[in-house]
Amino acid sequence: MFDQIFGNYLVQAGKLTKEQLEEVIKYESSVRVKLGTIAVAEKLMTDKQAEEVNQLQAVMDKRFGDIAVEKGYLTDDQVGQLLKKQGNAYMIFVQTLIDHNIMTMDEVDAALKGYQETQGFAESDMGDLMSGDIERIVKLFLPANTDLHDRLCGIAIRTLIRLINSSAYVSKAFLVDQILADNFAMQAMKGDHAIVSGFAGCGNSLLAVADPFAGEEFDTVDLDALDAVGEFTNCINGLFASELSKENVDVDMLPPEFYDHPVSISGSQFCVFPIHIGSDVINFIMTIDSELTVQ
Amino acid sequence: MAKVLIVDDSRTSRKILRGILEESGHEVIDEAVDGQDGVKKFQSLKPDIVTMDITMPVLDGMEALKMIKALNPDTKVIMVTAAGQKGKMIDCIKLGANEFLTKPFDKEEIISVINKLS
Repeated sequence: MFDQIFGNYLVQAGKLTKEQLEEVIKYESSVRVKLGTIAVAEKLMTDKQAEEVNQLQAVMDKRFGDIAVEKGYLTDDQVGQLLKKQGNAYMIFVQTLIDHNIMTMDEVDAALKGYQETQGFAESDMGDLMSGDIERIVKLFLPANTDLHDRLCGIAIRTLIRLINSSAYVSKAFLVDQILADNFAMQAMKGDHAIVSGFAGCGNSLLAVADPFAGEEFDTVDLDALDAVGEFTNCINGLFASELSKENVDVDMLPPEFYDHPVSISGSQFCVFPIHIGSDVINFIMTIDSELTVQ
Repeated sequence: MAKVLIVDDSRTSRKILRGILEESGHEVIDEAVDGQDGVKKFQSLKPDIVTMDITMPVLDGMEALKMIKALNPDTKVIMVTAAGQKGKMIDCIKLGANEFLTKPFDKEEIISVINKLS
């Protein structure tokens, strides 16, 4: 994800054009082979096992390697070797910038320093960003909140990357008392915690979620498109509820709610997490144990 | 080939499920938008299998499951949920649920569960 974040920073800073970024990301994706494909090529897994793990990944909030180890197809050591072979996305991104004579290593270093300063990240944070570990990256973009917020956001982003768009990336989340949106799909959960989460968009931005999830092309963000966004939210919340239930924390999901007209979402310091999907920006809205009103 | 009634308040889920079932040769005899609609359509259409979303407005899936099993205990009901919450699943089994499907849908899982029951 940091390749996208840093790449877009470079575009904003005028170090890279949008077209150059697209070209670099496209090249990067072509050389970065999926873990399952490497495992099959290395004869550590069969095609069928890799396919099974891929399918399980769609319904579990776990990484390919973790599921493969759980199923007994790979050992931890083998996953480590495969990850090494696969390479780090950010490193491949930087290597591509240099190999394609778009930037020199010194220019990349200077830009990285500039990014670190503007964002106020510590050295250890930069290590987290470059690690490629979504959980570590997402935490850096969230306000100091609670463990539950971090976990729900982590599940939301991982699920979005897995099911909606593998190139999605985030910018810094913020806490507000009110936000306006053109449309909103949300779901409440009740029980040991009162939780509300959902996606708010402007114009047709929520189609970036609705279209791939429903497998169709909506013309506009109507109730059918919002239903798809609501179902996607339901999947995120389902994974979160499952995780909580393992700790004997019970939350019950209520039917999703949709607003296909401009709304004011208000509450007390609730979290808004901007997610970039292609040229669209949507907001993941979340509040835990605090009320949210939609008008 | 089984005659299936899909009960789900989400149009998206109904459409995806219908597509997978029809592609694998099963007949979707109708769709219902909530538990109440589901029980009504169950009585008139008498499907072999009902896929029942748990979280729905008006009448939720667990209540609808209870009513359908009271009408015909032999009907196969597959509960559909986004959450693998053990407590809820145990409650569904106690009410007579035959199988579970999790969202987002996995084509192979759906086919295997339906074929097992039909």
